[in-house]
Amino acid sequence: MTLPAFAARPAAQAAVLALAALAAACGGAGGGGGAGRQSFVDSRDTEDPRSLDPALSTDVPTGRAVSYLFDGLTRFTPDARVVPALAERWEVSPDGRTYTFHLRQGVRFHDGQPLVAAHVVASWQRALDPKSRGGRGWPLEPIDGAAAFQAGRARSLAGARAPDDSTLVVTLAEPLAAFPKLLAMPVASVVPPNAGADFGQKPVGTGPWKFVEWRHDDYLKFARNAAYWGEKPGADTLVARVIPEPSTKVAEFENGTVDVLAVPEGETRNWEQTDERPARLLSAPALRLYYVAINTTRGPLADVRVRQALNHAVDTKTILDRLIAGRGRLAAGTLPALLDSAGAARAPYAYDPAKARQLLAAAGHAADLSLQIWVGQDPTFARVAQSVQGYLQAVGVKATIVQRDAPSVREAARNGQADLFVKDWFADYPDADAFLYPLLHSASRGVGGNLSFYSNKAVDSLVVAARRTADDAERARLSRAADSTAFADAPLIYLFHYNQLYAVQPWIRGFQVPTIFTGQRWQGVTIQRQGAGPAQ
Amino acid sequence: MLPYLARRLLLAVPTLAGVLVVTFLLLFVAPGDPVQEMVGERADAATVARLRRELRLDEPLPTQFAAYAGGVLRGDLGRSFVTNRPVARDVAERFPKTLLLAGTAMAFASAFGIALGVLAARAPGGWADRLALGGAYLGISFPVYWVGLLLILFFAVQLRWLPASGYGQGWRGLRYLVLPALALGTRSVAFLARVTRSAMLEVLGGDFVRTARAKGLAERAVVFRHGLRNALIPVVTVLGLDFGYYLTGSILTETIFSWPGIGRYVVNAISRRDLPAIQGAVLFLSAVFVLVNLLTDVAYAKVDPRVRYE
Repeated sequence: MTLPAFAARPAAQAAVLALAALAAACGGAGGGGGAGRQSFVDSRDTEDPRSLDPALSTDVPTGRAVSYLFDGLTRFTPDARVVPALAERWEVSPDGRTYTFHLRQGVRFHDGQPLVAAHVVASWQRALDPKSRGGRGWPLEPIDGAAAFQAGRARSLAGARAPDDSTLVVTLAEPLAAFPKLLAMPVASVVPPNAGADFGQKPVGTGPWKFVEWRHDDYLKFARNAAYWGEKPGADTLVARVIPEPSTKVAEFENGTVDVLAVPEGETRNWEQTDERPARLLSAPALRLYYVAINTTRGPLADVRVRQALNHAVDTKTILDRLIAGRGRLAAGTLPALLDSAGAARAPYAYDPAKARQLLAAAGHAADLSLQIWVGQDPTFARVAQSVQGYLQAVGVKATIVQRDAPSVREAARNGQADLFVKDWFADYPDADAFLYPLLHSASRGVGGNLSFYSNKAVDSLVVAARRTADDAERARLSRAADSTAFADAPLIYLFHYNQLYAVQPWIRGFQVPTIFTGQRWQGVTIQRQGAGPAQ
Repeated sequence: MLPYLARRLLLAVPTLAGVLVVTFLLLFVAPGDPVQEMVGERADAATVARLRRELRLDEPLPTQFAAYAGGVLRGDLGRSFVTNRPVARDVAERFPKTLLLAGTAMAFASAFGIALGVLAARAPGGWADRLALGGAYLGISFPVYWVGLLLILFFAVQLRWLPASGYGQGWRGLRYLVLPALALGTRSVAFLARVTRSAMLEVLGGDFVRTARAKGLAERAVVFRHGLRNALIPVVTVLGLDFGYYLTGSILTETIFSWPGIGRYVVNAISRRDLPAIQGAVLFLSAVFVLVNLLTDVAYAKVDPRVRYE
């Protein structure tokens, strides 16, 4: 280290500065962006993926990258339908327990190996194997024998068999109508048989994009899979940049160096109200509920009147309009309109402080109720928590905010130590079950997602009945009934369902905002070079 | 000098051992569960229990510590719970980038900060002095994320001279370095200017400077050889401290400019309760900090011959 010497040597300093200036001058077009590029650049990732191994896909960046590189038996479309992928078609047995999948012929991995049905079985076993340390086996756990395999009591997954190279027979422990949707999730992707220890760093799949390069905390690069069995991507390269700071993402978008941007809530009005920007905006509903989990086992909160009072006390419309720029739809249940259009007839809890006071008084808590509102460090949720606190204080509830980092809050809530927890819920698959089972079923209390510790036998049996029912209309009816029953019990403060808002560059054509985060694989997207933007 | 260095290096061993024990214990006392962070929002108790066993988190604390400390002694920092990558590889990948950023920021800061300080001290109360002092006030007061965003808006969005964020490889990649280095170095420029100015003022008022002037030395020689040389001790202290901090991760700067350095790595590891990653990185960074402090002390002796280490 020669710092002092360096400091005392003006010539060296001048050299460094000259170098910096030179670099600046050579830079030219800065990030080098715009329509001259032959690649898609995505800005949505805010943190480095955990891995590129489907077995480890517990976070959003990993799931998204896995969906580019791999295929499952089914896949999600951008508008959240589930369509065949590696399975061309399938049959379900009358009892709803056995699925026979017929695989697409001639599919090859990026390294040239042909895909056979045995690979599917091996991939699922690998994802379920505790040695993979994934921790996200649940989409595959409905398969018969999964529990025994995970516990080490069986050496293979009894419920998945490959009678020949193109047929896969899956037996479930009990009927589950949403099973094909679970198979579109990243963890159920198919990997080649020789996936070794470094597979998460150098993945090989069958997907529309091939792995090129991963610079940690910086970017991921993929190349077009020209031999893809389905629709091929419309550009040679896809770069997924990791940009943690929202303002930086906006700057990169304005520079033309990234093609899509999830517009931060705070910037919404700004974007909607300037002249040239609204044309670039695209929106789509998300399967995402903002809510406050009410721990129904803690003291006065066990009283349904108190929980209803909390719902009447909070002006959700104002919260939605002021804090989320109106990007959402008030929730009258856990299910978003996309999954339960008929449920939209149900009215949300009305903002009615007088009624809230009445209910509290009736429950014997006119003035003595004191609650803790737990929240993580995300600024949006923190602001929502402050609003909720204000509204609760207005009806005589002494509410204090406990703000900790996410793992601390999560642990406290899962251990039942939080009265109220301001949070959101993302559905992993487009099905009512993805809200009802984790949020409301008693088996999901704690780590399963039910942080209200809500337990209602009627709701439990409706949720389970819906799971087992094959008929779509009947399932919808059962799901709606479960949601309605729970809504009356108010195990949450129902806030709103979120709407995504994206900005997309004018030279990008065919981009649809995905409802499920893995629903957009950039296949039908193209770059139109005549568009605006600086050429490099 | 050499025996002194050897003694200091030996003393670093108990320091680092202390760091090892304290981080290990702190992480177990701290709320938040690594396994629950791995499984995400939806899981079941059986999965959590299996993972805990797989990661050997169900073993008694002393056993876990012995296993970890044993690994460290063999030079193995273990594997990240979350990514399953070796922590040493992750650190080795990120630290050079932080070193590059910190080094450039310090070079920029020492060039401008010392020059401004000298300029200001030559004519206290003059226009250069006021400008330097005013600038230093602003530089110290502006938070780095604000300076960073301004730099991005001006040089990347308005002028389009430089990329707004990211890390570049090779020669051409250096343009990615300019804005984060400026943002990070700004505070140090301001601080160094103030420290240099006051040290210079003190030195320039000394008898030996009057003597130097009286014997007809050129002003240049007076200021630089007699003045600056003697004023450098506090400057080196500030440089050493700032450099130590920058090397251990300038989290805000790395976040704003998407710089893939060690600071972001540690913060991510903490937010995921990735115990081996946190422990490994903190241990490594402590060693870096100890080393920089040692080098600063050595630099004192280089700068000022009166300082001797036996």
